Amino acid sequence: MSIIVGNGLAHRFGNELALEGVDLVVDAGEHIAVLGDNGAGKTTLLRILATALRPTAGRLQIAGLDAFRERRRLRHYLGYVAHAPGLYPALSAAENLQFFCDLQDVSRSRVEQVLDEVGLTSVAYRRSDQLSRGMQQRLAIARAILHEPRLLILDEPDASLGSDAADLLMRVMKDKTVVLATHDHALANRLCQRTLVLRRGRSVGTATRLRVVR
Amino acid sequence: MNPLRVVLAVARKDLRSEWRTRELVPALAQFIILALLIGNFGFQIDSRNASTIAPGILWLALVFAGLVAFGRTFAAEREQASLEAMLMTPASPVAIFAGKALAAGALLVMCEAVLLPALSILFGTPFSGDVVAAVLLATVGMAALGVLFAAIVARVRARELLLPLLTLPLWIPFVIAGGVAVQSAMGLPGNYQQAIGLLLDFDILFIVLTSLAARFVLDE
Repeated sequence: MSIIVGNGLAHRFGNELALEGVDLVVDAGEHIAVLGDNGAGKTTLLRILATALRPTAGRLQIAGLDAFRERRRLRHYLGYVAHAPGLYPALSAAENLQFFCDLQDVSRSRVEQVLDEVGLTSVAYRRSDQLSRGMQQRLAIARAILHEPRLLILDEPDASLGSDAADLLMRVMKDKTVVLATHDHALANRLCQRTLVLRRGRSVGTATRLRVVR
Repeated sequence: MNPLRVVLAVARKDLRSEWRTRELVPALAQFIILALLIGNFGFQIDSRNASTIAPGILWLALVFAGLVAFGRTFAAEREQASLEAMLMTPASPVAIFAGKALAAGALLVMCEAVLLPALSILFGTPFSGDVVAAVLLATVGMAALGVLFAAIVARVRARELLLPLLTLPLWIPFVIAGGVAVQSAMGLPGNYQQAIGLLLDFDILFIVLTSLAARFVLDE
């Protein structure tokens, strides 16, 4: 069963065409990596898939629902790690997650479990502006999995994560459908079954593991 | 999903952040004291004209403090890139808006807790429950409008310029009705009950309108 079906996805920022006619089908449980240089349109595509950005053209269905008409319903279903961690600097790691528990309608008891999953238990009560960049990224990942989404959209989640990035991401991605943008081809090969390569906003092809278009 | 849980969570988060960083309230309290001092030295205040001038100074200080307080509500979220994360949750945008307005209103009330006694000390005007009630009622509607426009202009570059241009014209009804209420509470002519009734009407009207608009402003 296909979880994501995107047809002709395009987005313009003013006169600038960021994404042009991208088609994408992702099956349940599949992990797909989106590769491309800076400015290739990876973040734009991921923001569209996360329903954070409405495409200027094209159609997107997630779990059989129109992604933009039903986007409030879909927010229970998907978790998104954006390019910037987007944390509240004056709140501790635990408080950041407790706040999102309230917004996600999830029990606050989940916080401890998620912090353990991303390896932040020891800094749970440290203010998030006092965490290293890698720890902040882990906290952003923890926030994205707080409500146990079935679909994960991860925009360069490996940024600043350190040597155990792949192990952490593998744990987090287990049993989920995942679209992941990265510059790291080796990581993409290790974590994903398939890759989509973007160049100047266009899809230049997909490949299965180890056959990435360069 | 319980909208009240979202409203309280958003308000608690904003107030807790302000308590820890102390970015806004001390600066606003300082601004208010300076505005009152300038008003006090700029006018020839005596026992005969104090009640005439004091309400004007009060509303000027309150309006400009409000613009700063409400302007920060969404600007800070955008600077931290946290607004998108909040809007990516299934929480109702109206509940998020209400939580932000509640917190911003509470911050302005903290400033009013400095403003009203200081006004009474510097201008010798009565510090009564009637004055407090008028100011608090005006704060409710001003917070609803101010936070809505702050959400709209948060996406544009010239937000510091646009916020007063959009907000001030719609705050005029609160300044007029609030001005009459405060003047009559300070012993000048004016119908206090009628002015308070008007403030209540404006509050209800603008809370309903801004709640309806918030859904579209925050959802897009």
